[in-house]
Amino acid sequence: MFTVRTRIKIPPRAINAHRRPIIYIKHRTMAAPISTAMDSLSAALKSNIIPNQEYLLQGSVLDSAVEVLLHRLRGLCDNVDSGPETFHDHEMCFSIRRGPPPEQPLLLRVRRALDYQDMPWQLRYIGQPELGDKSRPTIVRSSIDIATSNSVVEFLTELGCRLDFEYIVRGYMFRKGRMKVTVSKIFKMGQGKLPESVEPISQSYLVELSVLAPSGQDAIAEDMRIFAEQLRPLVQLEKIDYKRLVH
Amino acid sequence: MQREEKQLDSALEAIIMRVNDLKTAIAAMIFKLEHEYETLNWPNFLDNFALISGHLTSLSKILGNDKAPIMRNLAVLPLLLSPEKDEDLMRLTECRISTFAHDLVPDYLRTKPEPQAEQKMMQLEVKANNLSYDTAHDCNKQVTQYNKVLSHVWDIANKAREEWEGEAGSRATQAQTSSAADTHVLVAAVGVGKGLKSDSVQMVQSGVSPVPSGMMVGRSGGQPQAAGQGPLGNAQMGQMGKTPSAIKTNIKAASQIHPYGR
Repeated sequence: MFTVRTRIKIPPRAINAHRRPIIYIKHRTMAAPISTAMDSLSAALKSNIIPNQEYLLQGSVLDSAVEVLLHRLRGLCDNVDSGPETFHDHEMCFSIRRGPPPEQPLLLRVRRALDYQDMPWQLRYIGQPELGDKSRPTIVRSSIDIATSNSVVEFLTELGCRLDFEYIVRGYMFRKGRMKVTVSKIFKMGQGKLPESVEPISQSYLVELSVLAPSGQDAIAEDMRIFAEQLRPLVQLEKIDYKRLVH
Repeated sequence: MQREEKQLDSALEAIIMRVNDLKTAIAAMIFKLEHEYETLNWPNFLDNFALISGHLTSLSKILGNDKAPIMRNLAVLPLLLSPEKDEDLMRLTECRISTFAHDLVPDYLRTKPEPQAEQKMMQLEVKANNLSYDTAHDCNKQVTQYNKVLSHVWDIANKAREEWEGEAGSRATQAQTSSAADTHVLVAAVGVGKGLKSDSVQMVQSGVSPVPSGMMVGRSGGQPQAAGQGPLGNAQMGQMGKTPSAIKTNIKAASQIHPYGR
């Protein structure tokens, strides 16, 4: 849980008008007329303007065919003239127990850019993926991310989070309207944290097509299905239930 | 005599009906042309033509019927001409003809084409008859030449099609570009850390094992191995298949056990 602290600024003129000491209201229940950040946040949540749903399709492409895929994406996507954007990130997944074993631990992901060391780090929560029935073209999962400083790992460790797994991801990013396409290679962390000692976990690139949108905007999923159709048979972008893959 | 008149009446009625059909068909086409010219497509337009020609055939069938009286033997005799407006006539002709006057009647009751049209037809007929053998020969020459050109184009098109089909066929047999096994490995790794977790030997091994099967799929297409590497894969390919990786991670596993032991 995160607490949001706000500082309410009261103009000096208002203080004079009252001519008595200001009592700071500590309990949120009593502070109904004053709108706190929490209130505006929940209001924003209620009116569905926060993009907290991720629509996702996943697939992979063999190393031998990745050039063809990149070429096709260059033709299909928006950022044509600037060329594909590359990225090189390190992702750490932390978990914290919420209860005794039957309860699933909470997963938090920390991501940092290895190619831009001075960029803020990213902390991300990803919810359980909802596969839905056949009529739903994509996976839907809740997703909240926030930019953080580089001390977030210490912060999480202090909270009692445990590093579950980590990996290096390197690849290309494309945009098509609101859709984001990433073609990336996943590397296992090697010993000694040297960038040279990483090894790829498969002979394929992971391909992900995703959109972050406020909940209820299911129309975008249809656009994604059509876009995924255009990448066939090069890549089969599908709803993949990885919970089932583990067992 | 009476029998003949009855026959004539019924025949006329049938003809009028057919003519009316023809008229409505033409009117429908004109309506379409005027109101749907933006959306009208060629097949649709041709359908209209077919309808009209169907009506025309049925009309000519009635006229050519054995039992039908020979129309050309009958004459229409105008009995009364008047410059006044005739309401009945207007009603009958849908307001097209308002008076039955002397200057218009010859035109309406005419059974031959207009003099100008007739003259033009005559001219064309004369020209057609005067076509000499030479010009006809010339035409034939042009036709053969045209045929030659056409057959040449036909050949080119055929050749292109064969090539294209061959290409499509070879593409269908080409190696697959993605592997479901690899997709599952990658998604499971990113999603729940399968194969990346360092605290369990079993997990590491089960995660690594699918990789060689992915390699098999990748190379089954008969593509040269050198070409089968992505731009980023180059540096790491050399390390593939080295078994010590699992051991390495195991060492790391021991060093990374969390102090709280949750």
